[in-house]
Amino acid sequence: MRVLGIETSCDETAAAVVESAAGRGGRILSNRVLSQLEEHRPFGGVVPEIAARAHLDHVDRLVAEAMAEAGLGFAELDGVAATVGPGLIGGVLVGAMTGKAIAAVHGKPFVAVNHLEGHALTVRLTDGLDFPYLLLLVSGGHCQLLAVEGVGRYRRYGSTLDDAVGEAFDKVAKLLGLGYPGGPAVERAAAGGDPARFALPRPMKGRPDCDFSFSGLKTAVRQAVEKAVEAAGPLDERARADLAASFQAAVAEVLQDRAARALARFAAELGRPGPLVVAGGVAANRSLRAALAEVAAAAGAVLVAPPPGLCTDNGAMIAWAGLERLRLGAADPLDFRARPRWPLEELSAPVPEPAQWEPAQ
Amino acid sequence: MSDPGSAPRDSAAAILLAFDCSGPSCSAAVARGGRVLAAAFETRPRGQGERLLPMVGEVLAEAGCGYADLAGIAVTLGPGSFTGLRIGLATARALALATGLPLVGRTSFAVLAAAAAPARVPGERLLVAIDSQRGDLFLQGFDAQASATEAPWACAAREAAARLEGPLLLAGSGAGRLAEALAAQGRSCRIAEAAQLPDAAVLARLASLAPLPPAGGPPPAALYLRPPDTTQPAPPGRGAR
Repeated sequence: MRVLGIETSCDETAAAVVESAAGRGGRILSNRVLSQLEEHRPFGGVVPEIAARAHLDHVDRLVAEAMAEAGLGFAELDGVAATVGPGLIGGVLVGAMTGKAIAAVHGKPFVAVNHLEGHALTVRLTDGLDFPYLLLLVSGGHCQLLAVEGVGRYRRYGSTLDDAVGEAFDKVAKLLGLGYPGGPAVERAAAGGDPARFALPRPMKGRPDCDFSFSGLKTAVRQAVEKAVEAAGPLDERARADLAASFQAAVAEVLQDRAARALARFAAELGRPGPLVVAGGVAANRSLRAALAEVAAAAGAVLVAPPPGLCTDNGAMIAWAGLERLRLGAADPLDFRARPRWPLEELSAPVPEPAQWEPAQ
Repeated sequence: MSDPGSAPRDSAAAILLAFDCSGPSCSAAVARGGRVLAAAFETRPRGQGERLLPMVGEVLAEAGCGYADLAGIAVTLGPGSFTGLRIGLATARALALATGLPLVGRTSFAVLAAAAAPARVPGERLLVAIDSQRGDLFLQGFDAQASATEAPWACAAREAAARLEGPLLLAGSGAGRLAEALAAQGRSCRIAEAAQLPDAAVLARLASLAPLPPAGGPPPAALYLRPPDTTQPAPPGRGAR
């Protein structure tokens, strides 16, 4: 089975073709990603209207390139998948309409993919992982722990009460003058820093639930910056590195604590220790991955993380989520509504039914 | 279905699919040689992304043809709602890619001017005014042949009224507001009632009478007439958004 996947929900325009491999897992036949980083950099964050315009300018070309690289014509596909939410709706609509139009012309099933399900199922593409597993989804817009029991079957253990963890990285990078995007910038700066120099809080650590909170930590970093500036003038490189390292260490400790809680709950409910899967853009951070590997090992679980290029937004994860749904007999009608908000728990497991897509005329 | 690449290109037989969702409506039509074979129009301020492709399927079926019978795709480029014109253009570009057909773009001004032109009486200036939904109007003037006489401009209704001279025939979603502003200055004008919102039937007729561009050329650009709003948005998500 071969599926084209289209992703336009934030600041990456992406298209990819994947196919199911014999046995478990899948194979990526092509994976084109165009980052809009430079267009948004002057604003220190993603500007929705700039993103939507850029998606329209490029998505059809990326689809053509992905098809050419896969060596396939549209007629040879088994389906077309596109992110229809959650995300910045102007951009989501561009990708969703692109996918629907291609499916309509070639009489292929259309799959309306939840962007978060794309992240959640990536390890089944890359590692052929079986259900169930515990998922820590950490990105610029999301921070949540979920039990993944099947395609469309998610139970949320906890999520952030305020900022997403990637958002905290972006804000701290801004405070420290490290540039945008914040994740890689903070990680680079932290590599040479002393994580013990600044005492920062570990919000939510020790609480019996599995929720997160990062706004207090961000405020603490701001206060530490102000204090340091007051004492010694503008931050030097050393202070920036030490603050970045102290912040990253605080995040790591919080993620460890929350993941440990969730691993215990998962083991009690599902009778197995993990595996713990970490996905989303923040999962590309090596130091956080190492911290999570420790906590997984302590619980007797393995940590599985997609390669960094498949942690950030991409089309392969959308194609794969579409493929997983299609092979369970699910497809979506061409009047499927794109949506800015679409929690994973609102998804349902595909029920095999006669397909509802419109056949080619 | 037959191979989309084998669609007829002979212009007399050329069947064109056209659609618009640049305003608070959604429409689709099929035409050949200036004759509309099938058309649908719905007033619909939201949800064009849900309605557009099913509507396209319906007009194709009514015209008795499929994607493989088409010679080209036509779409409005705006100005209008940013989201709406992108829904139309993203769909049109993807259809062109998937069928290998040429893509034709016309501005919403041109489509509205063509719709209003039959109502024009000699001596009148035809002016298309599209409500920007952000307080002001997008404007462009046209001559007796419905050819544009000036570049598109954006302006508040009151200022526009002060700048306009002579007898006027107004078209577009902003015609009413502009007429009110003119009346407040003691001026009268006429409104082309049949040309309030862009209609794909008009676009299909126009585009099916003109030569088609080559397939695979650079796609027509969206006409936004306004730079992106770059005020910093609220964070994209809180937990499960």
